[in-house]
Amino acid sequence: MRHAISIVGMIFLLGLASQAQAVDEPENVIKYRQSVMKAIGGHMGGIVGVVKGEVSYVDDVVVHAQGINAMSKLLVGIFPKGTSQMESAKSRALPAIWDDFSKFEAAAKALEIESAKMVEVAASRDVGAIGAQLKNMGKACGGCHKPFRQKK
Amino acid sequence: MGSAPHLRAVLALVALLAWPAAGGAQDAAGGALAGAGPESEDSVRRGAYLTAAAGCAGCHSDPKRKDQPFAGGAALRTPIGDFYAPNITPDPDYGIGGWSDAEFLAALKQGRAPDGGHYYPAFPYTSYAGMSDRDARDIKAYLATLAPLTRPNREPEISFPFNFRFLLGAWKALFFEPQPFAAEPARGTDWNRGAYLVRHLGHCGECHTARNLFGARDAARELAGTLNGPDGKKVPNITPHPENGLGAWRASDATYYLETGFLPDGDFAGGAMVEVIESSTSQLTDADRASIWVYLLSLPPAPGP
Repeated sequence: MRHAISIVGMIFLLGLASQAQAVDEPENVIKYRQSVMKAIGGHMGGIVGVVKGEVSYVDDVVVHAQGINAMSKLLVGIFPKGTSQMESAKSRALPAIWDDFSKFEAAAKALEIESAKMVEVAASRDVGAIGAQLKNMGKACGGCHKPFRQKK
Repeated sequence: MGSAPHLRAVLALVALLAWPAAGGAQDAAGGALAGAGPESEDSVRRGAYLTAAAGCAGCHSDPKRKDQPFAGGAALRTPIGDFYAPNITPDPDYGIGGWSDAEFLAALKQGRAPDGGHYYPAFPYTSYAGMSDRDARDIKAYLATLAPLTRPNREPEISFPFNFRFLLGAWKALFFEPQPFAAEPARGTDWNRGAYLVRHLGHCGECHTARNLFGARDAARELAGTLNGPDGKKVPNITPHPENGLGAWRASDATYYLETGFLPDGDFAGGAMVEVIESSTSQLTDADRASIWVYLLSLPPAPGP
């Protein structure tokens, strides 16, 4: 009897677990990915502050770069169809993202690559080199935002 | 015309020529134009810098054709139609090869084509009118060194009744008065350099200033943004208004943004400014970027659109 209950229990839990992979509400997905974007922006802002000489926390740059790099890998997974600005006023995601998703994936990959380079450059503690690599990261930002994000 | 406007123009020219370049400019094109800067002795190098400052590539180069620089651009969408900037490489048939200095200056500063016709102010001669003749000639000298490309020009698609070019004569009579740069020596060299860069070379107001019913810029709302910019998109208020403009920005926020596209909060430039930063403002000297901010800061804070 205990076996039967634990088997039923496991099936129930597995059933619950599978719900997490079911389609999420678009508004919630949008809210979630905007927090991810803000987190990326927060780390970017940190590196910008070091490069501009506003703060001297150059040892932190590697942490920020690692954070951006980790989050850059989330991006392709948090843009499901049906979450563009056509479906929700809260989103700034342009429908162009889904016209050719491989372009979007390439743009996200560019951020992954440039932030990985920043992790390496950050080890040097050389603010000049970090600034130069930051510009490359900026190109990756623009490479996605320009074609795929609605201007405010 | 009295002597005063001439004197102002001469003073402006002297101020520009005496401008100390505080930092080296980026190469406008790889290593070939090392030393390109506002103080270069060489007209071509000086012209390369000015071409970047004037943002010519933004319209005259097609972002989808990086192999054909300055051979003509993608569509500029305006409320009256779509415009395609022409080929300005030195090709004699498809570009401007063979144009005299006088013809080039007339185009840039008066909006007149060599055949005497008028240009639509989608070409910002309304701002370039205040460019010095020397700067215009140096831009021409630089353009003449580019590879001649045979990309044919594309006619604009303008909605009725704006497609009658003869109407431009009337428009210009009402709304366009070519004036040399109005230097104000009392405001210092930084302010004057910034005013020249913003009002004329950089032609920022062509996007950032709202227009009247006839498509002429509303001087009372200089740089205060508009809801109806190119491509029908909103263009931000760049006056120092505390809530709706750049009032909270510091000088380093502005100069870093113009250099890299990074906003003070870690976000990044979007839309049309990405191209402006890439091909124009990132190529300026630190001193020039700083002077742009000095000028913007002097504007009356406007509430914006």
